[in-house]
Amino acid sequence: MCTMKIKNVILGLALSFGLFSCSDDDGLVPVAAVETETISNLHAPQTGGQGQPVGGDFTKFDFSSGTVTTSETDWDIAFRGTTIAINGGEATGTNDEPERNANAGAAIVDGTFDTVTTAADLNFSQDSPTGFAIPTGSDNGWYNYNFMTNIVAPIPGKILVFRTAEGNYAKVEILSYYKDAPAEPDPFEDETRYYTFNYVYNPNSGDTSLE
Amino acid sequence: MKFKSLVINCLFLMFGVLTYAQVEIDTTQFNQLDEVILTATRTERQLSSLPMPVTLVSKKTINQSGSVRLDEILREQTGIVTVTDESGFEGVQMQGIASDYILILIDGVPLVGRSAGNFDLSRLTVGNIKQIEVVKGPSSSLYGSEALGGVINIITEKPSQQDLEGSASYRIGRFSQQDINLELSQAFDQLRYSVFMNRFSSQGYDLNTQTEGQTVNPFENYTLNARVYYDFSDRLKFSSSTRFFNENQDIGFSNQDEAFNGDTQQNEWNLHTKLDHELSSDFEATYELYYTSYKVEESVFNSTLNSLSSANFFNQQLLRPEVRTNLRFNEKGILTTGLGYQYESLDRTFFDDQVNFNSQYLYAQYDVDLLDQLNIIAGLRFDNHSEYSNQLSPKLAMRYQFSDQLALKASVGRGFKAPDFRQLYFDFLNSAVGYVVLGYNVAADKLEELQNQGQILETVVSQNELNQDLDAESSTGYNLGFTYKRDRWNAELNFFRNDFTNLIDTRIIARLNNGQNVFSYVNFDEVFTTGLEFNSNIEVTKNFTLNAGYQLLYAYDKTNLDRIENNQVFVRNPANNQTELVSRSDYFGLVNRSRHNANLKLFYDLPKLETDVSLRLLYRSKYAQFDTNGNGLIDTYDTSFVNGFATVNFAASKQFFNDFRLQIGANNLLDYTDANIPSMPGIQGFVKLNYQF
Repeated sequence: MCTMKIKNVILGLALSFGLFSCSDDDGLVPVAAVETETISNLHAPQTGGQGQPVGGDFTKFDFSSGTVTTSETDWDIAFRGTTIAINGGEATGTNDEPERNANAGAAIVDGTFDTVTTAADLNFSQDSPTGFAIPTGSDNGWYNYNFMTNIVAPIPGKILVFRTAEGNYAKVEILSYYKDAPAEPDPFEDETRYYTFNYVYNPNSGDTSLE
Repeated sequence: MKFKSLVINCLFLMFGVLTYAQVEIDTTQFNQLDEVILTATRTERQLSSLPMPVTLVSKKTINQSGSVRLDEILREQTGIVTVTDESGFEGVQMQGIASDYILILIDGVPLVGRSAGNFDLSRLTVGNIKQIEVVKGPSSSLYGSEALGGVINIITEKPSQQDLEGSASYRIGRFSQQDINLELSQAFDQLRYSVFMNRFSSQGYDLNTQTEGQTVNPFENYTLNARVYYDFSDRLKFSSSTRFFNENQDIGFSNQDEAFNGDTQQNEWNLHTKLDHELSSDFEATYELYYTSYKVEESVFNSTLNSLSSANFFNQQLLRPEVRTNLRFNEKGILTTGLGYQYESLDRTFFDDQVNFNSQYLYAQYDVDLLDQLNIIAGLRFDNHSEYSNQLSPKLAMRYQFSDQLALKASVGRGFKAPDFRQLYFDFLNSAVGYVVLGYNVAADKLEELQNQGQILETVVSQNELNQDLDAESSTGYNLGFTYKRDRWNAELNFFRNDFTNLIDTRIIARLNNGQNVFSYVNFDEVFTTGLEFNSNIEVTKNFTLNAGYQLLYAYDKTNLDRIENNQVFVRNPANNQTELVSRSDYFGLVNRSRHNANLKLFYDLPKLETDVSLRLLYRSKYAQFDTNGNGLIDTYDTSFVNGFATVNFAASKQFFNDFRLQIGANNLLDYTDANIPSMPGIQGFVKLNYQF
């Protein structure tokens, strides 16, 4: 049995590859479906910045429910400005960061969303006093800040793979940092700190397949 | 396809002209005086006999073109473009090589004072220029640092051997652009002197009315050049030349409802003293002392808050004594040697203290006609520098004459550029965004300071790595060309390739608590530029000359080519927000490089009417300014492309009452503007009156 729920119509074409490939998986044990979802306009405000210490609560996200959560314990990743924290490791020392109480991990893989098909053999990092698992700063982690255009753009081909708090696996491709994900954002007009991203979450605990 | 039709038209026109030129049999001998070039060998050499690619722009061409500043006339030469890079400053590009790597000389000595690596050619008036010599390809074997891509040498007018004479001219054009020249020279038995003055000013212009402030703000500048020549004897000749340049430019802009104003003042001074000594008929020596300083002061006031917003200064000096000798062997060969010492200093905002460089150098060049048809030039220079490793720069060039018409030219050479003061000593905090840039030599100490202040989140480069030496940027350049010459036309085709290693760029060395980065400089880029250049000069009739030129250019970063090869570069297709792999054909190459550059220039003399006319058509194909989609290279989805464009410049002048010359003209007749090309205003008409006495 192979089903695929595609929320984002635009994604349909590229995902057809995944649709055919999972027909091999017809097995005896029924497995829950691996789903591709899109989250739009996840708001991740922060205070400070521009040379001042940054602060403010992180916006937490839970893969299993696919929603933003305020739970202090049941969360996987969290956003504040361009910074992404994970529910694994130790406090980094930044202001107002959420408490880590699970063993989540993160890895950055080069590729298109479709070609990243497994979380096996990846080297997962965790947050720590020496830095975030997803490194902060332009060109270090997921984004590039362009001094000429003042645009924060997700670096194409950077796929974030997470081990969730519950030990599941998920992959994320961030598409935009601007509200309503304009194709060519205007850094002075478009509202910033609104994440749009695609993700695939494998609901089968411990299964590293991401397709 | 605008460009295609342009090329076809050019080819058609040329073909037509060639056929015409061959059919018409004219008994009049066109005695073209063969121009003499100094820059390529540091000895007087006939332009056509040189084994390396050289461009010469004569005073006549400059006058006929109606240029007033150096950038205008250079831009009309094949393979030379001016580029405004991401720093906002303009510089010259040759064979796809940026301004940082092109040495600018005046009468054989270097000019200093660059902004983010760019030498602003508009600083130089063409009013007292005798000719401009451009040598393409690495020339560090004679000139040392910065001569990777080539050398532009401005040869100024020397006092003539006559009684008091001079000229005065006034020109006015659109944007209230005014250019005033005054020149005087006089010769006695052994003494000659000349004085030149220039004033140039403009109200500036605005290419983008949406934004506050003008694209180019009002400015005025003055150039003063005085020189003295004294012949102690036929064998011992003294000369001294001094040049002042002063420019004042307004600053005016507003930011977040606050108005700012101020000004930038530039002051430049050169003093060049020389003694030419003929020791015997085969042996001559030159003793030279050169000093130059370049200062900029900039103050910006916040007129809303009525307070000083920023004050910056820049003060660079260079002192250079040099001894050169030329030894001749039986009219067949010349051995040129040189020995010199160079002291440089820079004090500026964002430096802790004034910093100094010392270097010593030694060079030798042997220029020999091995056979009647074969000329060979071999050169080698050694530079010992206080701040970076020693440099050895060889060059080998040969020219073989197959027949009266056809010759082959080939040259290979190495060039280098010393790490500049900024790359070594910068200490800059961007207060708006919060990032820090540190010069290489101060990075380790400054980083420790920041760490002690608790500002560093983590360091990403080890202390050990920071202590390694920064290497000089270097290149190897190859040129292979053919020249073909008939009575009434000639053509030259040159293939070039320049491989650069150890280019210096910024990298992140640490992360700050505010989420921003600490940058410093490191050697990592390897790039190449390659292509071909074609030039043809046709004397259609005795009074009608036609020049056509074309450059094809490929310029790529080798690291990026490898990344593409290894499927490591991606791009997001804006149409469907899907990430795609970047293929080799999607990679456009280095920023600010156009694949095609072409020009067609017509010069027409009407001797009976004492009139000359020139019309120049220039074309530059599209180029990209910077990466816009975050993948670190220019691909087809980037949105910073400047479209290909053509400019047409026209000038006509007429002599009257013997001593007067009236010129009218217009630059940019097609009125092409683009806010991304700040140095090019719309159509600009002008009138000039010149009086010779």
